[in-house]
Amino acid sequence: MTDLAASTRGLTKSYGHGDTLVHALRGVDLDLPAGRFTAIMGPSGSGKSTLMHCLAGLDQPTSGSVTVAGRELAGLDDDALTRFRRDHLGFVFQAFNLLPMLTAAQNIWLPTELAGRDRREPALAARFEQVVDTLGISSRLTHRPAEMSGGQQQRVAIARALVTAPAIVFADEPTGNLDSTTSAEVLAFLRRSVRELGQTVVMVTHETEAARYADDVIVLTDGQIASRVAA
Amino acid sequence: MRTVLLASLRTHTRRYGAALLAIVVGVVFIVVTAALSSSVRNGLSAGIGEPYAGADAVVDDPSPEDAARLIDAAAKSGADAWMIGWTTQQVARDGKVLDSSADVGQVPDRPERRWQKLVDGRFPSGPGEAVVDVNAAKVGEIGVGDHLRVGTGTGALDVTVTGLVDSPSTYSVASVYLLWSDLARWTDRLYVTSLAWSGSGDLAAARGAIDDVVPDADTVAVDAYVQKLQKDVNNGVDVIAIVVLLFAAIALLVAVLVINNTFAILFAQRARDFALLRCVGATRRQVVRSVRLESLALGVLAAVTGVLGGLGLGHGLVALVRHQWPSARLGPAEVAPVWLIAAAAVGLGVTLVAAWLPTRRVVRVSPLAALRPDDSTRVSTRTGRVRVVVGLAVVALGLAALAAAVAASSPPVLVVGGAGTFVGVLLLGPVLVPGLIRTAGRLAHRALGPVGRLAAGNAVRNPRRTAATAASLLIGVTLTTAVLTGMASSRTALSAEMDEQYPVDLAVTGTATLPPDVVTRLGAIDGVDGAVSVPGAPAEIAGLGKVPVVAEPSGAATGVRPVLHGDLPSVGSRQVVVPWDLLGDGVEPGDRVVVTVGDRSARLRVVGGEGWGEAALVSTSTLHRLAPGAATQAVWLRAADGADPQDLAGSVEAIGSPVGAGLQNGLARRSYVDVQLDVVTGGVVGLLGIAVVIALVGIANTLGLSVLERGREHALLRALGLTRRQVRRMLAAEAVLLAVVATLVGTTLGVLFAWAGVRALVEPAVDGAHVVLPWGQLALVVATSALAGLLAAVVPSRRAAKVTPAAGLALE
Repeated sequence: MTDLAASTRGLTKSYGHGDTLVHALRGVDLDLPAGRFTAIMGPSGSGKSTLMHCLAGLDQPTSGSVTVAGRELAGLDDDALTRFRRDHLGFVFQAFNLLPMLTAAQNIWLPTELAGRDRREPALAARFEQVVDTLGISSRLTHRPAEMSGGQQQRVAIARALVTAPAIVFADEPTGNLDSTTSAEVLAFLRRSVRELGQTVVMVTHETEAARYADDVIVLTDGQIASRVAA
Repeated sequence: MRTVLLASLRTHTRRYGAALLAIVVGVVFIVVTAALSSSVRNGLSAGIGEPYAGADAVVDDPSPEDAARLIDAAAKSGADAWMIGWTTQQVARDGKVLDSSADVGQVPDRPERRWQKLVDGRFPSGPGEAVVDVNAAKVGEIGVGDHLRVGTGTGALDVTVTGLVDSPSTYSVASVYLLWSDLARWTDRLYVTSLAWSGSGDLAAARGAIDDVVPDADTVAVDAYVQKLQKDVNNGVDVIAIVVLLFAAIALLVAVLVINNTFAILFAQRARDFALLRCVGATRRQVVRSVRLESLALGVLAAVTGVLGGLGLGHGLVALVRHQWPSARLGPAEVAPVWLIAAAAVGLGVTLVAAWLPTRRVVRVSPLAALRPDDSTRVSTRTGRVRVVVGLAVVALGLAALAAAVAASSPPVLVVGGAGTFVGVLLLGPVLVPGLIRTAGRLAHRALGPVGRLAAGNAVRNPRRTAATAASLLIGVTLTTAVLTGMASSRTALSAEMDEQYPVDLAVTGTATLPPDVVTRLGAIDGVDGAVSVPGAPAEIAGLGKVPVVAEPSGAATGVRPVLHGDLPSVGSRQVVVPWDLLGDGVEPGDRVVVTVGDRSARLRVVGGEGWGEAALVSTSTLHRLAPGAATQAVWLRAADGADPQDLAGSVEAIGSPVGAGLQNGLARRSYVDVQLDVVTGGVVGLLGIAVVIALVGIANTLGLSVLERGREHALLRALGLTRRQVRRMLAAEAVLLAVVATLVGTTLGVLFAWAGVRALVEPAVDGAHVVLPWGQLALVVATSALAGLLAAVVPSRRAAKVTPAAGLALE
């Protein structure tokens, strides 16, 4: 178990109190191995998005611990969490992935820039080339999001998530807005990034079709892990 | 639709907050103006007829000599006459100047005619006694029993204060009141508004008696005169109220832009709601009616709040001023209902007008829009080519008109040109403002890194919205900088005029030859930069009596520390320049007079002039001829920059009085003009400030509404690693960019308009006038608006930074 990208112990998340108390997660214990493509599945309200938000430091758990890339997230303040996300995590969302006023290249460079890193670092520049080539968007770099198709936008988002070589890439319903052909393309890219770039990818989805691209599938119901299938 | 309307009002009222504030401020402005003007009117009208109580007739605007003759004639014939008027004199106590230009009026001889209300002590019973206005006494800390010296030089009068009085009317108030026997010495320097005549109690008889003394006197009945005064008061107040309302109109224009922008943004944000309503069966008419009713509700709320707030503020201000500064003589505030109705109607009308265009856009929403995926990533609307072409054409025409106005010195063309240029710039706004923000954004990028670039990108995302927001600030800034530049230019021109008119700051002129050490003693006074001894001699001018003659000392204008501001009139060897206020009685410019010093005399031609004290100016050769051994007759002083004219006059008097020298205080007149200009500039900028405040509310509003729109984006940025502080900084940078760019455009326009205005209107009227840029003030305007931009961003940026990434992404 040396190669764990992330793990949780007794992860609980509740919203509201009294009559309106909702348990989104009820004591989830989870180990995510590095270098694999894991899909988290489950019906609406099963807590899969909450699990991802807690894993990614976007939301604070009610109790339990979350360790990502060897770092315990509990106790980090907002600024520290923000820096941690910036330096160690990548994100691909269903929609609102790109900032409309920036070009594709500017969107891809954004996390690097926010971290104050110099994009001329040889390793970084090489990584950029590699990622852009792998995703086939080198001809789109000067375009703004509105000038690109949904699939192209998602590829740019994946490139942005990959360019910093993060410990984990989180993908939240990355194909939710796409047709089936484009979906297949995007999922193939995510898988290639695991195979060829050695990336760890955690994807939340409710589509069985999408889950088929994953190495492992974790199914969540009512805030608990119902099953775990290795592909 | 009523449920929809009520629900939407409930949901969106908070978002209307800023628009509401903008209208309320405009309405409050109007109501407060009405309250203040009614208070000023009441204050000015109060007791306006009392000084004329008991009179049979009033002589309107008599010359001071006529007034003097009438008063003397009345005394001889057993009738009674008293004048309402003043002479402006210096008032000092123990050599310390209390007021360098105090109004000195008359207290009637007969006790029953004394319209002044005695507060303390008693009225004068004979010459050498005076009563002092109770407010002036408070300022100068004058008490009953004090000894005052009124006037300077030979004409000075020493009086004892026997009582303090209050004036029933602002129109007749003076600082010091003397009996006619004392006041008569300044007859040639009196300003007489009117003279009351009381005889047998009959108007016709009074008119006859007056006509016997002054055949062409303008004699009217007391009631008619008081009515005329009242009318003058009303007209004067109306003029000021109209000028102030002009500023209210500007503020409301800005409010229109702010509200218009608010509605446009809100309706754009709610386009999907409207589309959904259409989908479920609402007709266009129903949707439009519901949003119109919404704007109506907003307008009514704003109008009522504004009227109530304005009444509260107006009455509060008046009460405060009346309590704190009774000498301001404000009356009670009474706002006529018609004002309240008008203010409310204006507020409501402005809201409806501002909402009109955006509501029309709502109609065009297709029901299908509800079914499309959320397209908040869509790129901004493109600016129509037509708009750009029209904008450029209007700017070109405006500039041409400005140039024509400069060439022809025509005010109407100037206004047309200014308005044209401004409208053109507003039309070009959606292209111009984003372009400039992009340029400025590069600087922001360099200074703030990615945050700066994001801010610049956000600021130009919706060019129309950005331009409309900038336009509201543009109006205030353009007018402010135009006024500042125009005033600075006029000030320079005026100060050149002043240099000519008052070449000497302080002229100390002796009636006899001054002791030789006076010049060193005066020169040593703190605040005196230079002193020069002026050669001259006591002289007798035929027809004018004893008037010292002086000659311009060499080097006074050109010395190492020049004492003179400007050139004195050049005097020919056969000329004598006599102060204007000595001329008129028998001796006119152009006359030849005999000037005698001791046993020598010369026939010289009289020229009028002034600015060097109570002495006649002759050429050096003439003086040499008349008085070969001319000694120091006067001392001219140059004040240090920023020296207080009153303090300085006091110190100078302390040395001058014991040696019988009179003081002419050019510095006081000069600084009086300066103060007037400062007051006008301050007043105008203050009134425009209200428009600027509304514009800043607009910036905060646009930013706040944009923040609501960009919730998910901010969440994304936070997920990608933007700290809270960076989010706040990004929004602050956006507001500052917008504010600074609008201010720079406004300043450019303002300076352009001021330039055209000065070239077209001031230069032809005043020699040597030219455009002067008040760099300090302009920089202050830009800095203030940048700061205000920061301030405007405080609330929206805090709200934006509060969103946690997970919550933001889960929106909708």
